[in-house]
Amino acid sequence: MRISTLTFQTNAIDQMDQLEAALSKTQGQLASGKRIQEAADDPAGMAQVNQLNAELSASRQYVTNQNAASANLQLEGQALSDATNLLQSARDLAVEANNASLSASQRQDIATQLQQQLQQLVAIGNRTDANGDYLFSGYASQTQAFTLSGNAVSYTGSDGVSQLQISANQRISGSDAGDAVFMSIPAGNGTFTTAAAAANTGSGSIDGGSVVDPSQWTPDTYTIAFTSPTQYQVTNSGGGVVASGTYTSGDAIQFQGIEVTVSGTPSTGDAFTVAPAGKASAFATLSGLIKTLSSPALSSAQITTQLGNGLAQIDGAIVQLGNVSASVGARLNAVTAAQSTEQSTQTQLQSSVSQLSDVDYAAAVTQLNSQEVALQAAQQSYASLARLSLFNYIQG
Amino acid sequence: MSDLLATSVSGLLAFQRALDVTSNNVANAATPGYSVENAQFTEQPSQASSAGFFGGGVDVATVQRTYDEALAQQVRSSQSGYSSFNTFATQAAQVDNMLSDSNTGLTASLQAFVNALQNVANSPSSSAQRQVLLGQAQALTQQLKSYDSQLTRFDGNIESQVSSSVNQINTLAGNIATLNQKIASELGATGQPPNDLLDQRDQLIDQLSQYVSVNTAQQGDGEINVYIGTGQTLVTGSTAQSLTTIPSLYDPTRIDVGLSTGGATTADITSQIAGGTLGGLLSVRSQVIDPTRNALGQVAVGLATIVNQQQAMGMDLTGSLGQPMFSVGGVQAFAASTNAGSASLNVTRGSLDALTTEDYRMQYAGGTWQLTDLTSGQTVAMTGSGTGASPFQAAGLSIVVSGSPSNGDSFEIRPTAGATQGLAVTLANPAQIAAASPIQASASAGNTGSGIIASQAVVNPADPQLLATASILFTSPSTYTINGSGPFAYTSGQPIAANGWSVTITGTPAAGDTFKVASNAGGAGDNRNALATIDALMSASSLNGGTTSLSGAANDLVSGMGVVTEQAQSNASAQHVVNQDSVTARNNVSGVNLDEEAANMVRYQQMYQAMAQMITASNAMFNSLVSAIAGR
Repeated sequence: MRISTLTFQTNAIDQMDQLEAALSKTQGQLASGKRIQEAADDPAGMAQVNQLNAELSASRQYVTNQNAASANLQLEGQALSDATNLLQSARDLAVEANNASLSASQRQDIATQLQQQLQQLVAIGNRTDANGDYLFSGYASQTQAFTLSGNAVSYTGSDGVSQLQISANQRISGSDAGDAVFMSIPAGNGTFTTAAAAANTGSGSIDGGSVVDPSQWTPDTYTIAFTSPTQYQVTNSGGGVVASGTYTSGDAIQFQGIEVTVSGTPSTGDAFTVAPAGKASAFATLSGLIKTLSSPALSSAQITTQLGNGLAQIDGAIVQLGNVSASVGARLNAVTAAQSTEQSTQTQLQSSVSQLSDVDYAAAVTQLNSQEVALQAAQQSYASLARLSLFNYIQG
Repeated sequence: MSDLLATSVSGLLAFQRALDVTSNNVANAATPGYSVENAQFTEQPSQASSAGFFGGGVDVATVQRTYDEALAQQVRSSQSGYSSFNTFATQAAQVDNMLSDSNTGLTASLQAFVNALQNVANSPSSSAQRQVLLGQAQALTQQLKSYDSQLTRFDGNIESQVSSSVNQINTLAGNIATLNQKIASELGATGQPPNDLLDQRDQLIDQLSQYVSVNTAQQGDGEINVYIGTGQTLVTGSTAQSLTTIPSLYDPTRIDVGLSTGGATTADITSQIAGGTLGGLLSVRSQVIDPTRNALGQVAVGLATIVNQQQAMGMDLTGSLGQPMFSVGGVQAFAASTNAGSASLNVTRGSLDALTTEDYRMQYAGGTWQLTDLTSGQTVAMTGSGTGASPFQAAGLSIVVSGSPSNGDSFEIRPTAGATQGLAVTLANPAQIAAASPIQASASAGNTGSGIIASQAVVNPADPQLLATASILFTSPSTYTINGSGPFAYTSGQPIAANGWSVTITGTPAAGDTFKVASNAGGAGDNRNALATIDALMSASSLNGGTTSLSGAANDLVSGMGVVTEQAQSNASAQHVVNQDSVTARNNVSGVNLDEEAANMVRYQQMYQAMAQMITASNAMFNSLVSAIAGR
């Protein structure tokens, strides 16, 4: 076949150029450690790397969110534990006060101590986080959660709480609203509350009562009226008699699926009420106790009834705080679990990115060697072939 | 005797000519476009005698160049293909490199914006985190706009290359026409082919094929007619038409390629041009620059629409409903410069998910308006009548026609092309970021039933009563009133809607239970709307008919460009091989082989020597004869 001399030379040079370009590319990969030098080297791989890097960045953000959630929840857990301890010591004081032998001034002393504890409880409810946001104000994080006016405490926060995104599809509450924690505690025994009428003259007192058969309970306000020191009649709010009987001190009075126990000697005309339980706040419970203990005019039966109710409600509050603490603990566990998930996710993502974009040194070095050999061969063969010419052999 | 001398001299002269040709071949061995030449020997007329015909010697009939028209055509078409793909790949790689940097890329910027939103959600009352979010919004805006500006710069480069290609083509066409004329006159005058001129002309046509795909037709007088594109005449004999750059029919800031067809008329042949640098440049413009700009615009529109909608559904730190965070450029509608009527279009965007990255042509023909997708060429059905009260609705656009069109008037509509350049952050005060939900539903503390609020949402942020306090009072476990009106039947889990909000209560409320829906003013710690914004940006499929999320669209843009570039580069390298092969094939026929020339040189030299010996022989014969006469 006829070959043009010029073509032979330009083709040989072209081939060497191409080999040099390939060598330079391999050398660039080795020097940078990156297999993908620009997007067009591996567009699909590059897009994947970008996507993986975005996921990595999102995952790091989730860890930031987790740390924020964890810090908030730990602060809340501490506050709940402090509040529980406080209520526990308030309960001890109430038990101490529930002793007929105490004088009015001794009860007043206890009332003063309870007063301080009420203020401390409000202070716990108004704790703030590192940003100065109130822990228990819900959405209204810049508004103080509880306001104390006299002995009355009102909730000034919001009852909604913010969620924090701790992983791609997991959001948890970073706090709890103060009214759910401290204010919405079921009153009495959770179903109903009992009270002695203020005008009672006898020594009869009523306990907190209990539910015997929930299916028979119709929420209503019932009045247990003593028609004589030994006869009682229970009427509902409409005046209808639902039960009546002979009174024996310490025996249970049953009606509508519940039972209450009146002890002591009621006078004729004395009355006790049983009402559906609403919500009582821990603050109201404490201020109720303070009011009871600093009212010298109350009969001992009334004091006993009120302190008994107060104790039951403190117990309810402690249970409530325990429940919230448990939920905080569960959320902290969720955060911890999510943290370890994100850590392993990040490790996986990083190794995927590395697999996609990092150079395989063994392969690249081998390729570099073979390209080098090819270039050398091209250069040597060109050098020897280019010298060949018939003109060399024509003697003048 | 005189015959011997005459034939010998004819041989001497012929082989001298042949050696001249060989020498010229060697001299031009490295000349581009040179075709190897051969002296074509022919016998001189013989003389008749009674003993038969005696040959009259040799003559050089012509000097012929070795040239294969088919191989030359192959070189040209592969050259056009290679130039086109190579130009396309080079330009596309620029766009690809711009988009695919993983540190500063679009995906990374969008993620940084969402991360900043997450930090606002973590501490909604923190002014510092809100400031960071505004900073990231600004950074994302700048990123999108810098992409758009770079595309504009690429587009400008492409247009200036189009202009210079057009000038080159005109120069080459003019030179070809001049050579045509010379060749025809030399051929006419001598009857011999002017090889150097033919080589020059072929080389000019080769060069032309780098700029645009070329077809040629050989004429009887030695002239060649040159056609470009799909058969547009560039050179006829000694006349060259000229290409010009003309303002685009729709967007006068862009240029198209026109061909003057004699007189003052210039036809727009942009869409007919294929191959070569010019074809590559024009297809990069329509297949890379414009679609990328449109896709960027879609991301910009998506970002602004999603964030602004969510802002409107939220409440900021000042207790007001959220204001838009971004503004974005509007729809571009260009009237054709040839429109005769007075019609103008006002085009606005409607639903985000119906919006496409395509461009459209709206044409008035036969009394009706017709919308055509310029990418697919398909007609797009429109609803409405084009009036302000009932605009045409199609492809996520709302089109109002004013004025009266003439038959054949048309407009080009680019729904997202101008969006990115108009993107800006309009929120200046960090407190105006609406991280909170504007309403807060709550159950009364005294409720005795088991009814709880399961969910609450803003349905219509424009309702003037949205922030008014509303009370849902249960008059029985199965009926409720809202602010005293009603009663309405209650079903657990069914949404209760009023005042632009919707609240779902589950459980069994007791008679007398109340739920309150009120303004969330003061809800500095509320992050519900911030979280909803993150969902809307990252996971909600709000683009392309509800199939793609905004983050997905951003990622598709980058990977799609990568695929286009990779294809263009592999096309270019494949076409490079084809081109090299065809050049080699042509050169193997037309190029100079020095060994062959060496052999020819030896051959012609030997023949020349042999002829000289013949003259010696003739001289010896003459001398013998003379001495024989003298010796007598």
